[in-house]
Order: sequence, then C-alpha cells, then structure tokens
Amino acid sequence: MSNAPTSLEQAIERCAQEPIRIPGSIQPQGFLLVLDHSDLSILQASENSQQWLGQPAQALLGQALPALLAEGVNLRELLANLPEDEVFPFHIGDLQLHPQAPCQEPLRVLAHAHDQVLIVEFEPSARRVSQHSDYYPLVRAFVSTVHQAKGIEELLQQAVRQIKRITGFGRVKAYSFDADGTGKVLAEALDPGYPSYLGQSFPGSDIPRQARELYCINRIRVIEDADYQPAALVPELNPRTGQPLDMSFATLRSVSPVHLQYMRNMGTQASMSLSIVVDGKLWGLVSCHHEQPRAVDFQSRTACELLANVLSLQLEALEAHDSTRFLLDLRQYIVRMLAAMADHDSVSDGLLAQPEVMLQFARASGAAIISAERCDLIGHTPPAAQVNALVHWLGQRSGELVLHTDNVRRDIEVLPELAEHSAGVLAVAISQIHSHYLVWFRDEQARTVDWAGRPEKHIGPQGTLNPRHSFERWREEVRDFSAPWEPLIIEGVTELRNAVLGIVLRKAEELAQLANELKRSNKELEAFSYSVSHDLRAPLRHIAGYSELLNELEGEHLTERGKRFLGHIEEAAQFAGSLVDNLLNFSQMGRSALRLSDVDLNALVEAIRNETAPDYAGRTIIWEVAQLPKVYADPAFINMVLHNLIANAIKYSRDRDPARIEVGAVQHADETEVYVRDNGVGFDMAYVDKLFGVFQRLHRMEEFEGTGIGLASVRRIIERHDGRVWAEGRVGQGASFHFTLPHQLPTA
Amino acid sequence: MLKPILLVEDNPRDLELTLVALERSQLANEVIVLRDGADALDYLLRRNAYADRDDGNPAVMLLDLKLPKVDGLEVLKLVRTTPELRSIPVVMLTSSREEPDLQRAYELGVNAYVVKPVEFKEFVTAISDLGVFWAVLNEPPPGSLRLSRRGNQ
Repeated sequence: MSNAPTSLEQAIERCAQEPIRIPGSIQPQGFLLVLDHSDLSILQASENSQQWLGQPAQALLGQALPALLAEGVNLRELLANLPEDEVFPFHIGDLQLHPQAPCQEPLRVLAHAHDQVLIVEFEPSARRVSQHSDYYPLVRAFVSTVHQAKGIEELLQQAVRQIKRITGFGRVKAYSFDADGTGKVLAEALDPGYPSYLGQSFPGSDIPRQARELYCINRIRVIEDADYQPAALVPELNPRTGQPLDMSFATLRSVSPVHLQYMRNMGTQASMSLSIVVDGKLWGLVSCHHEQPRAVDFQSRTACELLANVLSLQLEALEAHDSTRFLLDLRQYIVRMLAAMADHDSVSDGLLAQPEVMLQFARASGAAIISAERCDLIGHTPPAAQVNALVHWLGQRSGELVLHTDNVRRDIEVLPELAEHSAGVLAVAISQIHSHYLVWFRDEQARTVDWAGRPEKHIGPQGTLNPRHSFERWREEVRDFSAPWEPLIIEGVTELRNAVLGIVLRKAEELAQLANELKRSNKELEAFSYSVSHDLRAPLRHIAGYSELLNELEGEHLTERGKRFLGHIEEAAQFAGSLVDNLLNFSQMGRSALRLSDVDLNALVEAIRNETAPDYAGRTIIWEVAQLPKVYADPAFINMVLHNLIANAIKYSRDRDPARIEVGAVQHADETEVYVRDNGVGFDMAYVDKLFGVFQRLHRMEEFEGTGIGLASVRRIIERHDGRVWAEGRVGQGASFHFTLPHQLPTA
Repeated sequence: MLKPILLVEDNPRDLELTLVALERSQLANEVIVLRDGADALDYLLRRNAYADRDDGNPAVMLLDLKLPKVDGLEVLKLVRTTPELRSIPVVMLTSSREEPDLQRAYELGVNAYVVKPVEFKEFVTAISDLGVFWAVLNEPPPGSLRLSRRGNQ
C-alpha cells in the first residue's frame, strides 16, 4: 500500500509522539539534581554538575545535598517554604556551594516536587542581562494600562512591548490560534534588522499536539542557545519510578532537536515562549526571539510569567465581555423574531415581517424560511430551486437538527450548484417530518492568508519530520469558504428553534380554541337564523294574509286610495318575506358542507334559461352560450351562482332591444374562469367594491327590484370553493361578472 | 261520517288564517282545533278533558312544529310509537326551513312537511291541497299505513 499521500500526516503524528516531557537531559546553563524527599540524598544528577560541584555525576549519587552546600545553609528549612498546592519551580534562595566546589558564586536555586521526587535546579544568579533591576514598576504599569486597551490587538501590542523591555529580546510577537491551530501574528515589537511576521500565519503543524498540551500546563519555556549541548541525567531513569524523569515543569528541560533546527532555520538563537491560556485552552503564545544566544534570568522570567497571566486574565475578561454582548444581541434578535411571529398568523409571516433581524441574527447575507407549503427567501440566497434541493438533502439526513458548514463545496458534495451561490449554510429543522426549516446563507469570503513560509513540512530520510526551512512570506488565496459560523450563533439557532416550536404549539392551540369558538358561534348563528325564520316569517305571513282577506271581504267599501294602500301593505309583506328567505339561504350557504361532484355547466345554464323564461317573456334576448367546461364543485351552489348572475343579466338588460347575454369560460393553468356578460345598464366602476356586499344596491328600488343579497351569495359560494369573483362594467355599456373555480379543490 | 281534521296550532292568527284556508278548500270534514301539544296528546289518547270523546282517529293531523308545553316533534314521536295512533297521517306545518327540523321530522315518520308561505294565496292553496290529499283522497304512502288500512278492513 502506498503511503505517499499520508506520509506527511504520519510524520506529523510521529513528531507528536516525541516524548518532550521526558527528554532525559537538560539545557546546560545550569545543573539539575534529583533528591529523595526524606533524606535529601541525590538520586539523579545532570552530567554537567561536575562543572559546578567538582565531582562527576556518578560520584554524586547517594550523597546528601546539604553536605555539598556551604556551611550554615539550612536546606531543610528553605525547602519547608515550598508551596504545597503548586508544582511549579519555587525559588528557595541564592545559595553558595561548599568551599571546595569550583564555583563559589551564589547560585539561584529552584526546587519543585514532582514525579515522586524533589527536583532542584541551580542556575547562575549573577548573569544579569536585562537593564532593569526592578520589574515591579514595569509590571505595575502594564497592569494599570490593560484596562484601557480598546481591543485584543491593542492589549497584545502593550504586552509584547513590555515583555520586550523586560527581556531585551530582538523580536517579541503575540499570536492567537484559530480552531485549526493556525497561529496568526496579531502584535509584534522588534529591533531593527529583525524580519517582521505581523499579520502572517503559522501553520498548526509548527507546534505538535503534545507541545500544545505542555504549553497549557507549563506556561513559560526558555531556550537560551539553540546550539546548546544537552547534559544528560545520570542515571537515565528515576529510581523511584523506574521511568525517565518527568521534567514537565523543570525550567532547564531540554527541548526537541526538531525544534532547535526550526529555530536555527528561522535564524533565531534564543527564544522564550509564554502561554496565553484562556478558559483552560491555549489561546495563543507570546514568542520571543533573539539572533544571538540570550539568557533570561529568573526575575525576568517571573515578571514575564506574571505579565502573561495578567494578559490571559484580561483576554478572558475581554472575550467573556464580547461573548456576553454577542449573546445579548442574539437574545434580542430572538426576542424580536418571536414577537413578530406572535403578531402574525404564521411563523413564516412573522419572520418575513422583519427580514433584517432574521439576517442580523445569524450575521448572514441571506435566509430561507421553508414550510410545507412555501419557501420564502430573504436577502442574497441561492435560487429557490437550489434551496429546495438543499431542503431535500437535509430531509434525508437523520438525527442532527442543526447543520452548519463554512464550505458548502467541501461538505455538501452532492449539491455543487449550491456552492456557486453560497459558501456557508446554517440550517435548523423546526420540524423534519413537516419539512419546516430555517436556513441562513453566507457568501464566499475569498481571503488571502500570508503564511510565514510554505506550510508544508518535509520528511527526512527516516520518516521523521524535518522542520521547514522557509520563513519567506508565502501568499495563499483561500476559496470556497465563508466566515465560520460562530458557536454562539449555532447555539442561538437551537434556542430559536425551541422558541419557534413553542409558538407553533401555541398557535395550534389558539387555532383549536378558535375552531371551538367558531363552532359555538356557528351554533348560535344557527339558533338565531332559526328564530329569525320562524318568528319573523309568522308576522309577515299574518300581514299578508289579513290584508288580502281585508281586500277580498271589505275591498269594495274602500276608496281607491285605501285599496292602493292595502296593495302596498301586501307587497311590503311579501318583499320582507323574500328578504328573510334570501337571508336564510345566505347564512345556510356559509354553513352547509360542500357536496362536490362534476358539474355540467351547460346543462345548468339551459335549465336556468327555462326557469327564468317567464321573467323575459315578450322580450328579445340574444343568448350566446359557449361550450362550457365541466367543473368540480357543489352543483346546487353553482346553480345558485349561475341563477343569480343570469337573472341579474336578464333584469338589468330589460331596456335593451335586443338584449344580449353571453355566458362563456376561459381555461387557466390552475382554474376555470366563467363569466356572464350583458349589454344592460351596467354600473360605475367606482362602486365595484360594493357590488358583492350584503344589502348593497346600486339602483333605486323603482328602477330594479331586488333584495341586495344575490351577489353577496355568489361571492360567498365561490369563496367557499376557493375561487374568486369580480365584475367589470360601465354605466350604460353593460356589465360582466366573472368567477373562477380552482381545478384542484381542497377536500372541503 | 267523515273523520275530523285535527289542527294543532298555538298562534291565533295562524289558526284563523288556516281555518279560512280550510274553509275555502270546501272540505266537509269537521275541524278540531287544539292549542298545544299536551292538549293534542290528551285528545289523541282520550284522557283528561277528552276522556269522553267519540273514539276513532282523525283523518289527518295538521301539526305546528313549535308548540307550547309539548312541541310538534314530540307529539309526532308519540303518535308514531303508539300502536293505535301510528296510522294517523301527520302533516307538519311550520315557518321554518331549517334542516335539522326537516330531518328530524322525516326520521320520526312525518307524511308531509309544509313551510307556510308568506303569500296568503299560496297558503290557501297549500292548505287546501293538503286537506284534499289527506282527508279526501286519503291515499296513504307505503309503509305502516297500509298495514293499518288492512287492519281497518
């Protein structure tokens, strides 16, 4: 099997396996002794101890350390000061060795208990390289200014400036890591002659995984000279564990030869790294470089460590502040969206009412609201067909309610066209079963990354990683990516979903309640209609009956005027009776269920013509009835509609000779349009809105009789069939009345 | 002797107009007027005030739907569930066109159902048609009536 494509990964992994915590040797600027806790005898010694103590490491083993120190040094007392809750090297004092030792300068002694032993490190204390004797004012100045820093970069800039002043390194830079581990230089302070890396990126592979972990727990690491010769520990293993000594916290710990090569390639001889740890994660590093070897004494290190800690805390505060503000903004957007949804009939309408909020919420350039019936788009989105394809794809995935990608081309391979329009997609299923989704889109953000050298590493002959040689700026164009979706937005989307579900549920409940109320008021209306029909018709019947009887029995005793009055009474009672009947019919129309079937419109028109024949006896009417299509509707109701329209046409054309009445139909894509046209008196289009209202009449009673319910009934019937009605006309020029019936009727 | 026509009507105006209409239809049958459902039941079951009436059922009963005390539908129901009354032709008279009533009346076995028209002429026509049909021709529809006719023979 060819391992070519993965050999780089393997090499990187091998690099990550390097046991950097147990190098078995130290940097030689000082020496290290491993002591037994109880009797302070030497268990291990670095082989360069001889340089200071005058005895080979092997000879030191078993000796008690106090015997090797100057008289009067109470080592036990000093060790008693070791903090119990901290593992880091503790400065127990500057001590002198016994008089026979080659080194008579006081040595700075750091001790820490770890790996079941006591690790004691000695380093020269007089090697003062920094020009500052007291770091307190510098650190205090930094601490007092961090609060004023406007943003992260300004804060980092202040930090690198102070660290450069304290340590005197030629270049101090601070960088942050992104999710992939790529480090980007955000702040830098440098001496003339040092190349600048500001704004450039370092690939994540520059710092192997185990090194990152170690940076997290031990927050400072100094390499005084990249060309140092490591001093091995004697013996190799820690006698208490039988394993190599764990030097995770030792200040003199030797580093990986790969890293030293990396430093040399970069043209730096000395380095110091300070970890920036935010929320327990390695947020970034302050990295100091010098072209020549450079010592960093204990005081400078302590000051820098302190500074890095303050920096970390301040960054944590800044980030917490930013994320709180961000969260607050998100909440506000959610609240505004929810309020809009509550104000509107549907979730879609609510969200559409505030398109800018929908977009701002996810910092998106476009959004789509998909429900079972519709797909609404906001802002810059792929075309509806692409969005539907995405929804289809989403529907086939199972489980995850939220999908997010900042690279559609890479993550949704099956929809290459989608990637042409948007690079980032964030989708949440309100309901997968009902295919109800909210989707946000982000445009591609083609960006330029300035790498500090080609990111590729080279593999050495043994399959080990050779550190890169090139630190020349290398520009890469990154395509197909959108800005990554912020984790808080992704969380916010889930929150929004839950809230929307709540609203959907509430709306359903409201609907159910509304349906109940409707049922009740329908019942009431029924009862009302009943009593109207019963109680109102009776007196009308009596008026009509008695006036007729009166006319019959006593008519001859009445004057002509009296007879006329009696006639009016009869007419009025009859009219009122038909008014009541029509009203009842009208209210029944809204209530009774539609009985749908195929309706032959021509047959209906023919029947209506025969039925109404007495009304136009003696008149000349030219009928133009086209071949009408079959429609799917309630035959009784459609008959009523046609009857009303044809009766109107007959009525309003009675002054015409000949009158012309046309009945026709037009087939549209989704509906059938039927119209009745006459050449009668017409109407003024200014009143067209009134035509279909109950009791709306456009003519005086003496001109044209009628109760003003006919067209209202027509509208009601057609609307119950999900159709539309409209009219066109001009005064004196005739009128046409149109209605449509959809081809596909709801199962009403 | 012709069987009487039983008219059950509470409204005095409707009663008068119906009587005029029946008069004009020139039926020879006696018209017995009852003013509420309870009275009608008493008459039919020959109890209380009608305990001593001559026996025999009416030729037809014109029954208003809405009646005080016991309403028309209840009277109809009792007539149809009482063996000796079951054969009486019942015609419902009412102002209402409301569907549930119509439905209910048919379920209970009404023979005809007439919505009283507003126009008096129509009313007269309707009433006399009914009277002639049920009191004179007395042609019963298929069903229980035929059985009872056989019983009469």
